[in-house]
Amino acid sequence: MTRLFAAELLKLRTLRSTWGFALVALLLAGLATAGQIGGTQAQDRSDPEFQFRIVLDAAFPAALLSLLLGMILVTNEFRHGTIARTLLATPRRGRFVAIKLLAGAATGAGLMLITLVVTASIGAVWLGILDVPLELGEATDAALRALVGAVLAGVLGAAIGGAVQSQVGALVGALVWIFVAEPLCWALLGLLDVGGAAEYLPAASLGGIVDSGGGGLPFAGSVGMALAWAALATMLALLRTSRRDIT
Amino acid sequence: MIEVERLTKRFGSTLAVDDLSFSVAPGTITGFLGPNGAGKSTTMRAILGLVLPTSGSTTVLGRRYRELEMPLQRVGALLETFDAHPGRSGRNHLRVLAVAGGIPRSRVDEVLALVDLGAAGKRRVKGYSLGMRQRLGLAAALLGDPEVLVLDEPANGLDPQGIRWLRDFLRSHASEGRTILISSHVLAEVAQTVDDVVIIHRGKLVRHVAIAEVEALAAGSTTVRSPDADRLLELLVSAGLDARSVVEGRLEVMAPPEQVGEIAASGGVVLHELSVARATLEEVFLELTGEPGERGA
Repeated sequence: MTRLFAAELLKLRTLRSTWGFALVALLLAGLATAGQIGGTQAQDRSDPEFQFRIVLDAAFPAALLSLLLGMILVTNEFRHGTIARTLLATPRRGRFVAIKLLAGAATGAGLMLITLVVTASIGAVWLGILDVPLELGEATDAALRALVGAVLAGVLGAAIGGAVQSQVGALVGALVWIFVAEPLCWALLGLLDVGGAAEYLPAASLGGIVDSGGGGLPFAGSVGMALAWAALATMLALLRTSRRDIT
Repeated sequence: MIEVERLTKRFGSTLAVDDLSFSVAPGTITGFLGPNGAGKSTTMRAILGLVLPTSGSTTVLGRRYRELEMPLQRVGALLETFDAHPGRSGRNHLRVLAVAGGIPRSRVDEVLALVDLGAAGKRRVKGYSLGMRQRLGLAAALLGDPEVLVLDEPANGLDPQGIRWLRDFLRSHASEGRTILISSHVLAEVAQTVDDVVIIHRGKLVRHVAIAEVEALAAGSTTVRSPDADRLLELLVSAGLDARSVVEGRLEVMAPPEQVGEIAASGGVVLHELSVARATLEEVFLELTGEPGERGA
């Protein structure tokens, strides 16, 4: 398993698209942090919640990128036909799916670490210049949540990639779900007076891991739901991958 | 050792492989022949665990491919479809395989040099020509220095020197006791390389014979030209041979040229030509697979 995982990481490192994702994560983190600090009134910067929000604002796009990169690292195999060579090295298909999930977790962690380093660097320097004392407890709490969220987003992305297998289908489907279908579900469930059920939907679960202060599921509940969605997608991925002929 | 036992594969309503059985012995090169769409690639992919049999089984070195430990070190494969990411360099493609297969990284540069891609190894694969892609595929197959090679149309895209190199390489590989299965839809392409041929058509086994037998089938009639062809025809027919006039002054005789020459000499008939009219290997192949062809043309 170790060598297969190392091979997956080498695959990621040797593709420009991975570094493109890292660069986008870095830029978005910088923009989000600068926007949050620069766009907040001086008196609000002393609110302990403020530094928590700086980290969260930077973390959300990184979690989304983790989800998408997780999908790409599996669907790339089918898109470019590299799946055949991969399965010759990893002929047990359950093991192939497991390695991809691990790689998804690693990419999520990697992207989020880049984001947190950029956010922490800009935040520490800028807030230092503004004489705002650092609230390390709040920031660390947010960072740990963000890291867990990104890891699970990467795992979920890889599992969805394995279940859908079409790159365009997986990416477009995920974006449509996050930005169109799930908000519609929220509205619909609200109309039916069961708005609380919306907290259990996939994007809400992932969001709840990073920010569970809004009256939704608690952190552990959000992690549990995200794991449940990832488990469901993994089962579908196993089912599809184990039956698929590579022609 | 490769064994295919009553393999059947259906894709929906299409029967790609139909109750196919054959085996490839260690130390031999077996040509796997058949026209396009005969089921060769499907069979090879079933051997490699990429296609799941509808029924029957395939084993390599006595086990199903997916049960092999360190499979890249046991079996090398070249597939007809290209399987490297276009955005990755050839060298990095092989590095990934080496890490996944537990193969020393030094082997990457060795196989790149072996297939004459050393200089191009750092270039991204999307800039490779067809021949370079094929050589990269061969490098991937050879990376683990495997005991068994399964090569699907390996000569595709190779230049004449590349084909000669491949032929010599496979012969030396087989002489070390390794097992090689090599597919082609052109018999002449593999005739100088293989020991045995497995010929399939529409997914079914047509023949599994030594290449010498196929070559014997290619040995055909004798063409003889004489200014006294009518008299020679009489002599040949009276000797019990199957002979006929093709054009004026030229006969075709279903007998070896030595026998025809002796009969002509004994009858005092002058000959202007005495030659063997051989069917090409392709004609024999087409005949065996039931495809239309003109033998002896």
